Amino acid sequence: MLQYETVFIADPTYTDEEVDELIKGYEQVVTGAGGKSLKIEKWGKRRLAYSIRHNEEGIYVLMTLECPASLVKELDRRFRMNDRILRHMAVRVESELQLGPSPMMKPRPERDEQLLEPPMMP
Amino acid sequence: MRESRESGGRGQDRGRKKQYKKKFLFRKKKFCKFCDEKIKFIDYKDVRLLQAFTPERAKIFPRRIAGTCSKHQRKLMQAIKRARILALIPFTSD
Repeated sequence: MLQYETVFIADPTYTDEEVDELIKGYEQVVTGAGGKSLKIEKWGKRRLAYSIRHNEEGIYVLMTLECPASLVKELDRRFRMNDRILRHMAVRVESELQLGPSPMMKPRPERDEQLLEPPMMP
Repeated sequence: MRESRESGGRGQDRGRKKQYKKKFLFRKKKFCKFCDEKIKFIDYKDVRLLQAFTPERAKIFPRRIAGTCSKHQRKLMQAIKRARILALIPFTSD
């Protein structure tokens, strides 16, 4: 079994409880298919960089899974079926860094400031 | 003005300075930031990092200007494209 990481953006009209329920539902699908969820991160309500279906905001949730490949397809189907999921994406976990807390969960400027400066123009 | 920019270069480039001068007058040697910081994996979730490489019009900063090596530029490109899908960074600025 491989490790995958899936992020989905839910409609901003979802309440916190509804989001928890949604996540629980997906977790059940994962465990039901013989996979397990390694990490769940709720990034909360974020401003979208561009509007999706006339929404300016979205609720982001990240799930890291260890599951058979067929489950990714199944989850994809379920995300599509729900009209209130604005966007979803699943990728393979390529680095062990992805298993730790993501940059989204870090308090703001913790990284080396120098790297964040735009590269110098000639 | 020009002098100060040149002297701001990194120490290890000092030996190559002469050749460099002939080709491009007073230009700082470019280097790959990711190689320098020894970053192996570029995360699409690291919005602040990706934004540094998608200035103004939200286009990917070209390698010839940014100085990123081809290996890291490919990874950066992948990360930027993924972040765009998730509406973390814009496709265009308008």
